[in-house]
Amino acid sequence: MNARALLLILTLAVSLGTRAEAGIMDTLRGWIGLGNKAKSEEQKKSMPRIRIGPFTGGMAVSAQDALRKELLASREFFVAGDDEKIDFAIEGSSVGGRVTGKLRDAKGKELFQRSYAAPGLDENLKALTDDVIYTITGRPGLATSRIVFVCDKTGKRQIYVCDAEGGDVHQVTHDKHGAVSPSLAPDSSMVAFTSYRSGFPIIRLLDLNVGWERGVTDTPGSSFGSAFSPDGTHLAAVMSFIGNPEIFVSDLNTNTAACVSDSVGAPASPSWHPDGKHIVFSNDDGDGPKLFVVEVPQKEGGSSRLFRWRTGYHFCTDPEWSPDGRNIAFTTRRGGEWAVAIKPYPNGGAHILQAGGAQHPSWSPNGHFLTYIQHGELFVQDLRSGNRRALLRGFGRITEPRWMR
Amino acid sequence: MNAYAAFTILLLSSCGSIPMPSFLRNPADEAVVYALGPRDGFTSPLSTGLKPACQALVFDQDGIHLTESHEQTVRSLAKEMVSEKKSRVIIAGYAPPNLPEDHARALSDRRALAVRQRLIELGVEAANLQTVGFGNDFSPSGPSSGVVVIYKQ
Repeated sequence: MNARALLLILTLAVSLGTRAEAGIMDTLRGWIGLGNKAKSEEQKKSMPRIRIGPFTGGMAVSAQDALRKELLASREFFVAGDDEKIDFAIEGSSVGGRVTGKLRDAKGKELFQRSYAAPGLDENLKALTDDVIYTITGRPGLATSRIVFVCDKTGKRQIYVCDAEGGDVHQVTHDKHGAVSPSLAPDSSMVAFTSYRSGFPIIRLLDLNVGWERGVTDTPGSSFGSAFSPDGTHLAAVMSFIGNPEIFVSDLNTNTAACVSDSVGAPASPSWHPDGKHIVFSNDDGDGPKLFVVEVPQKEGGSSRLFRWRTGYHFCTDPEWSPDGRNIAFTTRRGGEWAVAIKPYPNGGAHILQAGGAQHPSWSPNGHFLTYIQHGELFVQDLRSGNRRALLRGFGRITEPRWMR
Repeated sequence: MNAYAAFTILLLSSCGSIPMPSFLRNPADEAVVYALGPRDGFTSPLSTGLKPACQALVFDQDGIHLTESHEQTVRSLAKEMVSEKKSRVIIAGYAPPNLPEDHARALSDRRALAVRQRLIELGVEAANLQTVGFGNDFSPSGPSSGVVVIYKQ
C-alpha cells in the first residue's frame, strides 16, 4: 500500500513536471479530462535534473554520448551541464561495449549500481537508461520496450516485434496459414498469439529469449484475443469450446482455465486492469460491440461481478487499460470512419484522440504514448504534446499492435 | 373454462412489471448449448479445398442471429444430414475486412455457433459438427465476406 502510494506520488510529480513545458495541447487535455489532478501546483516542479558524470574505461566518451542521447530521447529528464544544480548524477565505466553504471542522488548517496554485459554498447546503455528512469520515476522506460504487431508483408498474417522507435524489426512467427492476435508478456520475454498452423485457431506461447514455443489451448472452436495478466502468470482469452464464445482466464503454470464472462453474444479483446483483478472486454449482442468490465475471481469457484461500462459511443472494440488504470483507450466509429478514443475509468468524459481511420490503441509502458494503426501504418502519439509520427511505413499492412516494457 | 381463461389473463395483465415466468419465455432462450466435441479427424478449409454443403449464409453488418432467409437453407441441410447418417460438416464463419480484427473473429465465431445450434435443434448429431471463426484473417470464395460457409468433410 505504501509502495503504491509512493508510486502514485512519483507519477503525479513527473506528470506535473512535464506539463509545465507542454503548452496549449496540455491545457486542452486538461479541460477534456486527461491529467486533471493537482492543477494548482503544476508550475512549481520541473523535470528531474540529471548529470552524466565521469566515465572511465576505453569506450568512456562514446558511452557518455550515447547515454546523453538516450536520456534526452526518454524526455523524462533535464540533462544538466557540469556546473548546474542537479538532482541525480550517473557515473560509470565502459570497456569493450560492457557498461557499469552507478546512480547517485544530489547528496551523493548511491541509489544503484549495475553492470550490463549484452553484446552491444547501445543495448547496454538502453538498459541502463531504463533502470535510471525506473529508479527515479517509478515507471518503466521505453528504451528496452517492445511493440508486437501483425503484418501481411509475406502474403500471410504473421507476427513481428520492433522497438519503441520502430527499429529492430523481427518476424517472430513463420506459421503455416499465419499467426494473429498477439500479446506481449509484461517483461517482453514472451508472445502469446493465435496460430493457424493446424488450420484451426489455437493459442500458443513463444519465448523470445530462448526460442521455445508451446501450445496453451488446442480446444475445438476458436481461441483468440489473448492478453497477459500484469504479473505475467495468467492469460485472458476468448474460447468457444463450450459451444458459446466466452472470456477465459488460464493459469499458465497449471494450464487450467476459468470462465469469467457470461455472454450470449460475441465477446472479444480482453484487457487487464494493472491491479490484475479486473478485465475489460468488448461484447456484441447483435447491435454492435459495447464495453464490459468483469471482476476476476481471486479464489477458485469465486463469483465475479460483470457490468456494462458506458462510453457514450455505440461501437466500441479493442479496449486497453492504461498502465496506471485511470484511463481506457478503445476503437470506436465516428462519421463512418474508425477513431481511437480515451475515456477515464471509472468516470469521466470520453474524447476522440485520433479519427480518420485510427484503430487498435495500445499504451506505452509509462502511459505517456499511445500506439495505433491508421490505414495499415503504425503510429505513435505523445499524449502530453499531442504530436504523432509514423513508426513503420510501407511495411505491408500492419494490424493489432501491442506495447510492453 | 372461459372463466379460467379470463382469470389467467387478468392475472397476467395485473403483473406487467414482474418478469415473465420461465415457462412463458421464448423457448430459444432456454435452448441447451452443447459443448463442442473433439476436433480429431476434421479437416480445416485452410488445409484443403473443401466443398460447401449448401449455399453460404450471408449475414448483414451486425446480426448474430439466424434470419428467415437462413432458416430454409439450414432446414434442408439438416434434413439431408439426418438422412445420410455419416455426413460431417465444418461450419466456418468469416467477417468483412473493414471490421476490427478481434471483433471480426468473435462475430464470425458467434455466427458459426448460432448455425451449429440451429442444426442441433433440427436433429443433427452434435458430434458431426465443428465450428471455427476466421474473422477477416481469411476471406471465403464468393462475393460477400460476412458469411458462414458450411463445408462437407
